[in-house]
Amino acid sequence: MKSFLGKRAIASAISLVGLVILVFFLSRLTGDPTDLYLPVDASQEARDNFRRIHGLDQPLMVQFFQYVGDLLRFDFGESIRRSEPAIDAVLRGFTWTLQLAAITMALVTAMAILIGSLAAFHVGGFFDRLATFFSLVGASAPDFWIAIVAIVIFSVNLGWVPTSGTGGWEFWILPVAVLFIRPFGLILQVVRGSMISTLSSAYVKTARAKGLRNRPIIFVHALRNAMLPVITVIGDQAAALLNGAVVVESIFGFPGVGKLMIDSILQRDFSVILAAIMVTAFAIFLMNLLIDILYAVLDPRIRY
Amino acid sequence: MIRKLSSAAAVLLTSSAAFAASHADTSVTVVLSEELDIVDPCEASRSNVGRVVLQNISETMTELVPGEGLQTRLATGWEDLGDGTWQFTLREGVNFHDGSAFDAADVAHSLARIKSEDITCEIGAKFFGGTELTTEVVDDHTINITADPVQPILPLLMSTVTVVPSDTPMDSHVETPIGTGPYMFDEYNRGQNIKLSQNENYWGESPAVTDATYVFRSDSAVRAAMVAQGEADIAPNIALQDASNPEMDFSYPNSESVYMRLDTTMEPLDDKRVREALNYAVDREAFIGTILADGTLLATSIVPPSTLGYNEELEPYPYDPERAKELLAEAEADGVPVDLEITFIGRLNNWGNVTETLEALTAMWEEVGFNIDLQMVEVAEWLEYYSQPFPEDRGPTIVAAMHDNANGDPVFSMYFKYDSEGLQSGVRDPALDAMIADATTATGDERERLWKDIMHYIHTEQVYDVLLFHMVGFSRVNPRLDFTPTIRTNSELQLSQITFN
Repeated sequence: MKSFLGKRAIASAISLVGLVILVFFLSRLTGDPTDLYLPVDASQEARDNFRRIHGLDQPLMVQFFQYVGDLLRFDFGESIRRSEPAIDAVLRGFTWTLQLAAITMALVTAMAILIGSLAAFHVGGFFDRLATFFSLVGASAPDFWIAIVAIVIFSVNLGWVPTSGTGGWEFWILPVAVLFIRPFGLILQVVRGSMISTLSSAYVKTARAKGLRNRPIIFVHALRNAMLPVITVIGDQAAALLNGAVVVESIFGFPGVGKLMIDSILQRDFSVILAAIMVTAFAIFLMNLLIDILYAVLDPRIRY
Repeated sequence: MIRKLSSAAAVLLTSSAAFAASHADTSVTVVLSEELDIVDPCEASRSNVGRVVLQNISETMTELVPGEGLQTRLATGWEDLGDGTWQFTLREGVNFHDGSAFDAADVAHSLARIKSEDITCEIGAKFFGGTELTTEVVDDHTINITADPVQPILPLLMSTVTVVPSDTPMDSHVETPIGTGPYMFDEYNRGQNIKLSQNENYWGESPAVTDATYVFRSDSAVRAAMVAQGEADIAPNIALQDASNPEMDFSYPNSESVYMRLDTTMEPLDDKRVREALNYAVDREAFIGTILADGTLLATSIVPPSTLGYNEELEPYPYDPERAKELLAEAEADGVPVDLEITFIGRLNNWGNVTETLEALTAMWEEVGFNIDLQMVEVAEWLEYYSQPFPEDRGPTIVAAMHDNANGDPVFSMYFKYDSEGLQSGVRDPALDAMIADATTATGDERERLWKDIMHYIHTEQVYDVLLFHMVGFSRVNPRLDFTPTIRTNSELQLSQITFN
């Protein structure tokens, strides 16, 4: 296991270095932030001064080696727009995104496993058809549309929950609900398919023949074996949320890392772009590692 | 089960009532379209910063009031001493939020700071680029300010300069702005809100609003919904399609003017008849109420009607495609290459429905015989065409632009957009340069007359561009407030001007 972890860490570090180099040069290709930061009427003197203050007047390779040198001291640079260390802005945003992703994925996983398993147990029944219909609708509907419609119905018309923002538990209801729908539909379908396959296997039939009740058959014996493909999909969906739920964060005014990253790209705030990518990449590396370990826990045949 | 559901619904309803009415009667919540990345007063010319900081936290020496002209604020009077020097008399008994007394040294420091080479301050870059400012502190409440080159509108320009204490750092932006204004900066919860509270020691009248919270939502529909729900009191900027409630929604001239900048140094745009044809070919009225908001005004100048020297006698060019075709035929007969392809550069997201607007213009121009190549580009690429130096390998070019002037004087607009040395000027006309120089140094009625002459010269005599629209913005205001947005709402939102119904 130690050797496996070491190999994964080295591979991830190499990927991260490649990512940093790629993003550094690609982000510079988008142009000079001076034009976006200063008013169009700003004099050439003001533009030159801006470039000098932020080191943009240096050759690109000089900027790159300067950045790498700072990075080795864990200095991610200063945000051009925010006048604060880029890593502070990113970690603040990531904390919000992590909470949003964790709550959503916990609910999604629990509900999808429960409903998907029950649907698989009565294939073709009313419950199965209903679950399939709603999961397909959920997986297909665009986030921004669901979010706006949810605000109109539940906030403006019914007044049950706030339209947006942060605060008490009631502020989390709509963002989590909107984020819930798509991964729920997807994971439910995977659980259902995997469970149908597992429930038709010989050991389940044996268990039934021995007179075991349905609940332990589904949730103890079958589910554990059906979980391997489900975990892969859960990992993919969680990674997508960790990258930031841009649409939901924007509409609900949630100060997460996804919105921060998009704003930084539009504003050419290079330090924040790089810091955000590194933090999310590191988080995804940790999550993938967790999934690998879960594989081994669930399936004793898997050994690293 | 039913009882449990009823209980849950009751909890939800109770909590929803709580968040809708969570503020005190004298508090207001303002929902802005973007988060403030910076709160330094020297960036207050940026509209999102200005709406929080300008005249709420940080005050200026003078203040331009719509309909009333230039008024006193931290300065109680000013006098032109000649040779570019103005003497300002400062208000006595004013203190900053940190308790320190406001005096002439603070003004000198504030002016030096906006021009500091160690930080970027938009006020300095936008209003004082190319201008040297020197200050002489006469006494605690008198200061002489000299501008080189001479600025006859220096008192007006001082309405843009936020005054900060003299110990404000010259080499970094502040995270807690300190000013003399009626509100103090309490806290900034990044990504969530900014909170201000009343300055009990304010030198002026005590305002009705005791404290304010600013929140940020990028989606216009959400901003409008928040005011409708009572979660916010003012959304200064909402989209046309969300301004659907006549009881809450206000339209106001937002000081932005849309015009098509012509490169008059290149064929065929160097021919006046061609430029006239471009103007006659446009059905301006057709845009209003369709892809542009009702209330949008037709423009005959690059500055809005509330600006000094605005020439009310000028009439927009009528839609006359036959006249446009005649003018093109005349020019062609004289050897002007009117069928040359003209590159038409538009900036994505420059204003609502910009692409539709420019596509319609292209169709109208092509209808009368122009050969137009419309290109919609991002801001950086657009700037390459809009600001000098222009690309050397360019052909004839039209740049679609929107210009903001809420300052009440056209001097910067005229210099930057029409002078031969102007950063975004497509005109090379020594006679116009001389006229702008004369008007720049003139004062009083003479100044107003000269600007009117210049606007007539540009619009009617030389037809140097295609002036189209003065735009309007939309705000949603909770009926519990007595507040009417004005042209200044585009750049500031003075809480002290709000009262309650």
